[in-house]
Amino acid sequence: MSTTSLPPGPQQSLPPSLMSTLPGAYYTDPDVFALEQRRIFESMWFCAVRAADLPRPGAFKTVQVGTESILITRARDNSIRAFYNVCRHRGARISTEESGEVKRAFQCPYHAWTYDLDGRLVAAPNLTKMPDIDRVAYGLVNVAMREWLGYVWICLADEPPSFEEDVMGDVRTRLGDVAHIDNYDVAGLKVGRRIVYDVKANWKLIVENFMECYHCATIHPELTEVLPEFADGYAAQYYVGHGAEFGAEIQGFTVDGSSGLDRIPTVSQEQDRRYYAITIKPQVFVNLVPDHVIWHRMFPLAADRTVVECDWLYLPEVVDGGADIDRSVELFHRVNTQDFDACERCQPAMGSRTYADGGVLVPSEHHIGLFHDWLRGRLSD
Amino acid sequence: MIPACPLRSLPRGEAFRLDAEPPIAVFHTEDGQIYAIDDTCTHQDASLADGWLEGCEVECPLHASKFDLRTGQVDAPPAKLPVRTHRVVVEDGTIFVIPSEAPANLPPGVGVRPQGAA
Ligand code: FES
Ligand code: FES
Ligand SMILES: [Fe+2]
Repeated sequence: MSTTSLPPGPQQSLPPSLMSTLPGAYYTDPDVFALEQRRIFESMWFCAVRAADLPRPGAFKTVQVGTESILITRARDNSIRAFYNVCRHRGARISTEESGEVKRAFQCPYHAWTYDLDGRLVAAPNLTKMPDIDRVAYGLVNVAMREWLGYVWICLADEPPSFEEDVMGDVRTRLGDVAHIDNYDVAGLKVGRRIVYDVKANWKLIVENFMECYHCATIHPELTEVLPEFADGYAAQYYVGHGAEFGAEIQGFTVDGSSGLDRIPTVSQEQDRRYYAITIKPQVFVNLVPDHVIWHRMFPLAADRTVVECDWLYLPEVVDGGADIDRSVELFHRVNTQDFDACERCQPAMGSRTYADGGVLVPSEHHIGLFHDWLRGRLSD
Repeated sequence: MIPACPLRSLPRGEAFRLDAEPPIAVFHTEDGQIYAIDDTCTHQDASLADGWLEGCEVECPLHASKFDLRTGQVDAPPAKLPVRTHRVVVEDGTIFVIPSEAPANLPPGVGVRPQGAA
């Protein structure tokens, strides 16, 4: 809403080593969150579900995107379709389940308006008495959809922004070239483990945490053991195209540095024994290591609550062969828990009067300022 | 004998709704049979031509009662009464229906001005 006035930035001048963060209210104010829902989550491409989670026609998932509930399904022709989860008759939710499967149609439980998997209105009580109801015009409302890297991305904007510039652009910015992620064949991998974290923190605290490694040596002992250069506080996200190298005695990206799983064969020589991290704005984090990919999707639900769904992706033969992935998963599961605990520790303090002007960023965190500039840009105008 | 539609405009697996009084649904099954039954479900005003054809049965699109195309019998509630079946003749590539003379089992309110509230 244009009537929302954004919290002002800090007034005092800072020593050159420091930059200010966003003011505390950005992390607590429901009006700021409402503006973010509209200007960010309902306007940009949003990574919603893993395509393989819709294995058959009629399988569906519902996801919260900004203020909207979106129903994503697979149609008879195997294409993926996304709709607003809103009945065209009088607005009942078509599905209140997070996932499920219908045989051939979605039926509203209120008055039984019935929609096929393409969203078309196929039946309703007395429908033949109302031949002037166009079955497409009164079908479920479509949402723009793209499939990339094995994920379904949707966009609620009337005119979606360029997927190539926005989504692929973020990968290019981090890795230097989109081709570098193609080497990991992310679409061809299979979910070996999925963990859902319900984090009592603002989504931006999670983004900021993921962007910096100033905290790594303090809260991530296992990760710093595997990636010793993280002890200097500079995250893999500080540089373009830089992958953090595994320590000399480290055999694989596992909780104890023991060897990992089968290496993804198309990973290049220079990507071997390295860890890359990417943020795809506004809600995706990706970690690339030679034998797996860790893919996080954030679902911001309130100013102080964010659900993070994290997939550990391996070669299909690794997952189907029943290989033991526990030590592999455990490393980043610990990292996630350590990070989200830190975010939850910050959240209650965001409303403190001493944090009204926000905190400060040290030089190894200054690149987070770019995220703040981006955010302010999206919320203003 | 009422002309319904050309045979070639009704592929297997599809239905045609004949705007008679009351309307009639003509089905072309996957194994090539043609059947005609009353189009209106006996439970509520739903078009069975919009339903799901499976073998020799059509499932009502609203509440899933199934009607046998050969006998008109219903398998399970909420619909309780059968639909009428009608004879079908194909001549010179056209499907004709000979409407049954039996009284139709129409749902409440159909053919009458709808009224009342839940
Ligand atoms: S609200 Fe969905 S059928 Fe009436
Ligand atoms: S309308 Fe056919 S079963 Fe209810
Ligand atoms: Fe971290």
